[in-house]
Amino acid sequence: MDKSMLADLDSLPEEDKVRMSTMIDQLQIRDSLRMYNSLVERCFTDCVDTFRRKTLDKQEETCVRRCAEKFLKHSMRVGMRFAELNQGAATPD
Amino acid sequence: MAANANPPPSSPSPSRIDKEQIIGMAEKEMEYKVELFNKLTHTCFNKCVDKRYKETELNMGENSCIDRCVSKYWQVTNLIGQLLGSGRPPM
Repeated sequence: MDKSMLADLDSLPEEDKVRMSTMIDQLQIRDSLRMYNSLVERCFTDCVDTFRRKTLDKQEETCVRRCAEKFLKHSMRVGMRFAELNQGAATPD
Repeated sequence: MAANANPPPSSPSPSRIDKEQIIGMAEKEMEYKVELFNKLTHTCFNKCVDKRYKETELNMGENSCIDRCVSKYWQVTNLIGQLLGSGRPPM
């Protein structure tokens, strides 16, 4: 998510701009950490089902890689569409 | 228009307290937007993406599903916003 989706900072006086910008940075850091955790949880839940060994086998590792890649691509696409809708742009069916 | 008519009294400039409230509300709204985005992302992933992860790319069907899911989720958000905002007393 980029800052412009959260607030229109350009019209603010400088000190407010800095304050809001810092606030947004903190939100983004918190959001990134949360995304990290939820991605791990999701891919673990979807890919790892057996506990006969301590280490991931090749299949599980591949699954986790694909899961993470797919989710990140998905997230980027959602971000694009979200930004469009946020700005009130009409979207194709 | 008379050139020397008194302009209407302007409202007092926002006090420091008002400004704090406005910034506080802006922060809440930003947090809301972040949460909305996250829930939207997770919900549409669950609804649209095949969990077998047969490849790293999203296929055409998944892409279309994602676009439509985001759009519908957004509509639901607005709809519920309207229903909540109409100020009807809780049942």
